[in-house]
Amino acid sequence: MSQPPLPPEVRALLDHEREVPPLPAAVRARLLGRARAALVAGNIATPAALRTAPRLRWAAAAALVVLASAAGAAAYGLRARFAPPPSRPPIVVPAAVVAPPSTPTPAASSAPADVQPAPPHAVETPRLSPADAARAELRLLRQARAAVARQDFAAALGPIAEHTRRFRDGRLAEEREALRVKSLAGLGRTDEARRAAAAFEARFPRSVLLPAVSKMPASEP
Amino acid sequence: MSHLRLVTPPASQVSSDTACLDAFQKEVDYVYRTLRRLGVSPSEVEDLTQEVFLALRGSWAAFDPGRPLRPYLFGIAFRIASAHQRKRSREVAFGIVEVGDAGPGPDDALQSKQARALVLAALERIPLPRRAVLVMHDIDDVAVSEVARVLGIPLFTVYSRLRKARRELQAALRRMLKEADGR
Repeated sequence: MSQPPLPPEVRALLDHEREVPPLPAAVRARLLGRARAALVAGNIATPAALRTAPRLRWAAAAALVVLASAAGAAAYGLRARFAPPPSRPPIVVPAAVVAPPSTPTPAASSAPADVQPAPPHAVETPRLSPADAARAELRLLRQARAAVARQDFAAALGPIAEHTRRFRDGRLAEEREALRVKSLAGLGRTDEARRAAAAFEARFPRSVLLPAVSKMPASEP
Repeated sequence: MSHLRLVTPPASQVSSDTACLDAFQKEVDYVYRTLRRLGVSPSEVEDLTQEVFLALRGSWAAFDPGRPLRPYLFGIAFRIASAHQRKRSREVAFGIVEVGDAGPGPDDALQSKQARALVLAALERIPLPRRAVLVMHDIDDVAVSEVARVLGIPLFTVYSRLRKARRELQAALRRMLKEADGR
C-alpha cells in the first residue's frame, strides 16, 4: 500500500530526531541505579502486567465485596433467627478482622461479633502484596519527585513522610532519602538537610546519588 | 516492618536479570527518548522509564533474543505511556503542555535542541495510537509488518494510521511555524 511521501523539510526533521541523544550522566546513573535496586529488591510483578486487566481486577474486587456483604447478611439473618434466649449472655469474642490488602483497617473491630477466633496469622497487620507495594511506593515517590521538580519542596515532604511511614526500608528508600535532603535544602532548612545528608551517607555509602546528595545542603538556598 | 523478604534467587534468575539489566543499560537512552516522543512529560519520564524496566524484566523470559530489542521496548513503552495518559486524562480535564524542553535536558546544541523540541511539540498534537505508528515507522525505521505485530493491530490499520499521522504532523508543524512567524 503506497503512502504519500513526506515533504523534504519534514523528512529532514524526522531524520534529525532519529538519532537518540545520550542522557546526561547523572540521569543515566539514576535510572540504572533504580533498575539495579529493583533487581536487588527481589521478585516483583510488572506494572504493565498489572495494568493489562484493570477492569477484571475491579470486577473481582466488586464481586468479593458483594460476596462478603451477602455472606454477612446471611450470617446476620441466621443469627437473628437462631439467637439464644435473652437470659443467656452472648458470647463476645473480639473479632479479628482481616481486611483486604489495599485497605488498611484497625486490627480489631469495635463491634462485638460471635465469630470464630481467627487463626494466628490472620490477626497480623494486613500487608500489601509485593506488586502493590511497589506500585504504592512508586506513586508516592512520583508525587515527591514532581513536587521537587516544580520547586514545591514543602509539598514534597508530605509524600516523603508517608513513604517513610509505610515503607521505611522500601526499595525506593534510597531515592526517598535523597529527595528528603533536596527538599529540606530547598526549604532553607540547612541543618536538617545536613543531618539528612549525613544519615544518607551512612546508610547508602555506595549510592550513585551520594555525590549529588552531599552537595545539596550547600547548593540550595 | 519491611514487607520484603530476603531470598536467594536461583542461578537462572540471576543470569536472566543480568541479561535484562545489560539490555536495559544499552537502550536506556532510547527508552527515555521514546517515552518523551510518546508525550511523557520531563517530570515523569524517569519514573516511567523505571516502569518500562520493571515490565521488561517481568517479560524477559518471553522475549525472543533473535528479534531486535528496540521494537519490543517500544511496545512496552507504548503500553505504559498509554496507561499513563489515560490516568492523566482522568486526573486533568484539559491537557497541560509542559515546556520542560526549554530547560536543561539531554540535548546540548541549541539548533539541534530546537529541532528536536519542534518535533516533540508537533508529535504532541497527534493522538497517541497514530503517533506510536509514526514514531515507530518514520523515526525508528521499523517495518510496517513489525509495527503491526508489536502494537497488535492489523496491517491495514497501520497504513491508515500512518497516513493520517503524517498529515497531522505536517499540519502541526505548519501551524507551529506560522505561530512562531507571527510573534
